[in-house]
Amino acid sequence: MVESIVSTGVAIGCIYALIAITYNVMFSASRVFSFTAGTLGMLGGVLGSLFIARMGMPVAIGFLLALAGGAVLGIVTEIVAVRPVLKSLDQHLYVLSTLALALMIQQFTAIEWSTEPQPFPRLFDIARGGFDQQFWLPMLACTLVIVGLELLYRHTLIGHAFLAVAEDNFAARALGLPERSLRMASFALAGVIGALAGFAGGEMLLAFFANAPMLTFYGFVPVALGGMGNNRGAVVAGLLLGLFQQAANFLVGGIFASVVVFTMFIIVLLARPEGLAGATFQRRV
Amino acid sequence: MAITRRQALVSAGAAALVSGLGKPAIAAKEPILIGYLPALTGPSSSTGVGINRGIQLAVQEINAAGGVDGRQLELITRDTQSDPTKAVNGAAELTHGQKVSVVFGPVNSGESLAVVPLLARANTPQIHPCWVDTLTDPKKYPMCFRNAPTNQQIGGAANRYVVEVLKRKKVAVISDTTGYGTASVNAYVPMLKGMGADVVYQGNVDAANPDLKPELLRMQSAGAEAIMPWSVNAGFLSRIINTRGQMGWDVPIVGQTTLGSGQTQALLEKPDYWAKVYPNNFRPVCYAAGGKLSDRTNAFLDRLKNAKIDMRDTLLWWIALGYDSPRMIAEAMKNVGTEPEQIVGYLNKLKEFPGVYGDIAFTADKHDGYPDNEVVMVEANSLKDGAFSLAPGYGA
Amino acid sequence: MDTQATQLRPSHPNVLGSASPFSAALPFLALLLVGISFPLFGGGYWGVIATRACVYWVLVSGLNLVVGFGGQIAIGWVALLTLGAYTTSVLVAGNVTPALPPYLALAIAAVVGAIFGLIIGLPALRLRTFYFAITTLGFATIVTQVALAWQSVTGGGVGVAGPIFPEPFASQWGFYYFCFGVAAICTWMTANVAASRFGRALTAIRDAEVAAEASGIAKPALLGTVFLFSGAVAAVAGGLFAALQSYITPDAFTLDLSILFFIAILIGGRGSILGPLLGTILLTVLPEFAAPLVAWSTFLYAVLLLVIVLAIPGGIAEILDFKNRRPLESDRAIVPRPDLLERLLGAPPDAGALTLEQVALSFGGVHAIDGLDLEIRPGQVHGLIGPNGSGKTTTLNVISGYYTQQRGAVRLHGAALPVFARHRRAHMRIARTFQTPRIVGSASVLENVMIGGTIDGEGTFVESLLSLPRHRRDEATLRDTAMLALAAVGLERLAPVRADRLQHSELRFTEIARALMLRPAFLLLDEPAAGLSAEEIQRLGALILAIARSGTGVLVVEHHPDLIFDICHHVTVLNLGKILAAGTPAEIRAHREVVNAYLGA
Repeated sequence: MVESIVSTGVAIGCIYALIAITYNVMFSASRVFSFTAGTLGMLGGVLGSLFIARMGMPVAIGFLLALAGGAVLGIVTEIVAVRPVLKSLDQHLYVLSTLALALMIQQFTAIEWSTEPQPFPRLFDIARGGFDQQFWLPMLACTLVIVGLELLYRHTLIGHAFLAVAEDNFAARALGLPERSLRMASFALAGVIGALAGFAGGEMLLAFFANAPMLTFYGFVPVALGGMGNNRGAVVAGLLLGLFQQAANFLVGGIFASVVVFTMFIIVLLARPEGLAGATFQRRV
Repeated sequence: MAITRRQALVSAGAAALVSGLGKPAIAAKEPILIGYLPALTGPSSSTGVGINRGIQLAVQEINAAGGVDGRQLELITRDTQSDPTKAVNGAAELTHGQKVSVVFGPVNSGESLAVVPLLARANTPQIHPCWVDTLTDPKKYPMCFRNAPTNQQIGGAANRYVVEVLKRKKVAVISDTTGYGTASVNAYVPMLKGMGADVVYQGNVDAANPDLKPELLRMQSAGAEAIMPWSVNAGFLSRIINTRGQMGWDVPIVGQTTLGSGQTQALLEKPDYWAKVYPNNFRPVCYAAGGKLSDRTNAFLDRLKNAKIDMRDTLLWWIALGYDSPRMIAEAMKNVGTEPEQIVGYLNKLKEFPGVYGDIAFTADKHDGYPDNEVVMVEANSLKDGAFSLAPGYGA
Repeated sequence: MDTQATQLRPSHPNVLGSASPFSAALPFLALLLVGISFPLFGGGYWGVIATRACVYWVLVSGLNLVVGFGGQIAIGWVALLTLGAYTTSVLVAGNVTPALPPYLALAIAAVVGAIFGLIIGLPALRLRTFYFAITTLGFATIVTQVALAWQSVTGGGVGVAGPIFPEPFASQWGFYYFCFGVAAICTWMTANVAASRFGRALTAIRDAEVAAEASGIAKPALLGTVFLFSGAVAAVAGGLFAALQSYITPDAFTLDLSILFFIAILIGGRGSILGPLLGTILLTVLPEFAAPLVAWSTFLYAVLLLVIVLAIPGGIAEILDFKNRRPLESDRAIVPRPDLLERLLGAPPDAGALTLEQVALSFGGVHAIDGLDLEIRPGQVHGLIGPNGSGKTTTLNVISGYYTQQRGAVRLHGAALPVFARHRRAHMRIARTFQTPRIVGSASVLENVMIGGTIDGEGTFVESLLSLPRHRRDEATLRDTAMLALAAVGLERLAPVRADRLQHSELRFTEIARALMLRPAFLLLDEPAAGLSAEEIQRLGALILAIARSGTGVLVVEHHPDLIFDICHHVTVLNLGKILAAGTPAEIRAHREVVNAYLGA
């Protein structure tokens, strides 16, 4: 029983953590939270199933195409839903534009793909064992993303540029950094991470359009708890969330588990609105 | 609100009818409008999609053979999207707007619960295939008929199979959180107890939960000897079957017909997991003892092949039910015309309508038309050309 | 005096032409007429749709105050529809309590809805926008899950029968008229709130929160009131919804429905009643025109939302705002009339100075202000100058309560000003303007100025809701005072113009008019001359002097040394958070260090 809770909990926690990182990467580039993060996760699974299971492509090609699809959606989000509203005085329009875009994609997927969960292909032809690939694939994906982002931010020029734009937008522009291209690149990167989350989690979550609202919510909880823009906090919070959720499932059963998770979330958030590890927010007057 | 184009058309049509009173021949060629409320999209659409294939085929055939008394049947479809709100809107349009003669549907219980009272107020005869027991009431809703089994009939067959044929006394009953699922569990647990079984586990689980292992482990530690799932959600059912297989736990799974659907099969991790899975099904569309189908069913399968209708991702009985329903309605109208009271009167005396899916019969006091003895249990992995064989130990 | 007063009434010809209240009510009257006569031409089917539109509007009218006026992104409001529907149905069905009459059940549902509206809404006070939006979504899911799980009460997945209202509301058209009546009442009530100080205060919180606080508006109390009302109304809509459906199950309360409500408001336009009303009707009716549209309805709503957000953020209301399409004169001059100040400000307030004693505040390692002494005397103009980053605005923010000093004290009449109570400053008659004008762009200039007088209103929210006499008296007084203030600063001809059409200099004077509504004992001006022409700076100076002469103590933070030297009685020069020099303008002009560091030779 315990190993089941731990393996499922950590696996799904890694998926939530990856979606949280998707939120964070978009936030760092634009100071905007986008509702499309959960939708990216959903598309990773749907595109993977479409390319590999339905269209019969080899796993590697289908994988790359799914990630490419995520990147495309990330860029579309930036161009259509983020860039136009960044200029406006009303700071909250981005909530609405990204919500609209996310809804459009979810509904389109529901109608054109299916309203029922569709099978996700088995990626590696290994026999099913105790520690099955549906559990270690998300963990592997999460580890690779964390390590990859670390390398990117610390050791590459473009990574430094991302950090600069995130830290101080105006200073970065004054230094001549191409803000718009960097933002698009950030959103493309976020798209890839989101799609990777959905692809790696496909065997567990199946290719299902309703994964989008679920991931939108559960992927945001680690962001809120770990502090905005804080990837390490997001990963820790994501894992804790996954474990807590599976434990609640076991202890109180399906319906009440989500009530319990949500109640805990809102209590923690009300106590520490900036997250457990975040910095308090100073308002400009 | 300005008068809509539809309103204008309807009044223009009425005017045309009045002016044509002197020429009955023209009026007789008007199509017969049949309202149809399937859930073709949305979370509970698998039933609707399957039924739809049968209905469309039947209406085409009837119309190709000249219709009813020279009048073509016209299906007016309003997709409820698995949403009771849209079902109510659709029902209102079919009755007040389109003025259909009969309504078939909705196909999901949650939607029917809202629509049945509305159709009763609109004095429109209704035939629906939903299973929840409270959905027919000859006194409150004299115009509402059910051409499918009730939850009691379905559950009765399944429960009897587990307790009396498989001789398992400790049972785990699990459903998803839809109206159908929760109603089923509520109905079947007392039924099992009444049969002398011991319900060691009873639960409603969110169908989207990716991991059902804790639930099955709980069942196992409570000593369950059989698992009975009640849900039309292929994802949920497949997860139960897969988890049982992963655990290597050798207990039979007995329950909802969707356990045998093509959708569920597609989501299985290993084909062998489908062994020892016994869903409900219906005798007319199953292989009898000698491995043969009835002539009626064979003829139907041929028609489906000719019409290139796909069965692999759905269930044959859904298509068959969809096929039978307009034919039963057409039969009624051939005999007594299209007035509501006449149709209801005819149905109240219907001794036997020989459908592909089942032999339907109604009386004035019993609006549940499906016969008990045609509800059977089958073996899921005996699926061949859309039909199943009866489950082992099942009498002839 | 009366002739002067009549000259200032907005009904006189001005820049945009007269705006009569009748023309504003005309669309509502038209809808009322159509609605009342609907059974004559609509059939049974459209009757169901029309009833549904009325029920949805009942909920949306209340949510409109939260989202459209208050700017809170409450996406999951369907939770309250669910609560109201189940409460009413369960109470009428009598499976938990003895069966209650439907009207009583509806009233109880309203109370339950009010309480839960408050619970769901309160996190808005602590959380940032996106976080709050997500929590409302979570609440919506939770309520549905509880409805599913609590089978003994709600019937679980099987649901429960909806209430049937007694004759004459039991028949289809009877019930339609009942819902229509409730919808009409809700329209009237929310329109009253929109045209009250509460409605304007909500828009101020939405678009100019710091200015709202400076005007004394307490966000928690106001939002709390609105959540209570909105929750109650949504629950009533839930009871009506249950009756319309005649049977409710948890799967009827979809997230799609919640999105519909939310999008109806955004499409209609924020800060409007008519817009969201038309939006609700549009979104209810749209899928019914073509059967294929039903499946794509949520997709269409999302597309509409995206188009509105990107192209016409003001929504339908902006499209219908013909008044504000007429061009404004291009050579407008701001001509203040300081002679009106006496009537506006009244008698000089009690003597007593506003003093800062050794105030210090650091941000991290930076000493923003370090050991600052300052005294602002009534009737005098005190200038505060210094290079960028010297701590001028920080000082002003400390006085007005936006920052808290770490050492030292700020005293008024000798008593220390309470910390963390920035909206109380208005009650102490301390008013301010801002470095960048904070105004409600989509409201008129007059409404923006009226926001300044919010705390002078005496009527309660309920009195505004029902348009009782005290509310109307408040409005009339507020309107007259605001017109007077606008005349005093020279902008009365622009009173009905939408504020975001104004030039930058006009916005600065608008802020001053708004601040004057408080009849301030102390007025803090943050770089009021920035962006003004030379002519306008002259007039500004005359206005400030006149304000001081009526007894107000004025603190002017500025970059323009000429303005400072012309009008100030005392000047303090800051550099790197410390006082470099303090004294009369003549002294400062000659001060060697000041000349070197700041003024130049």
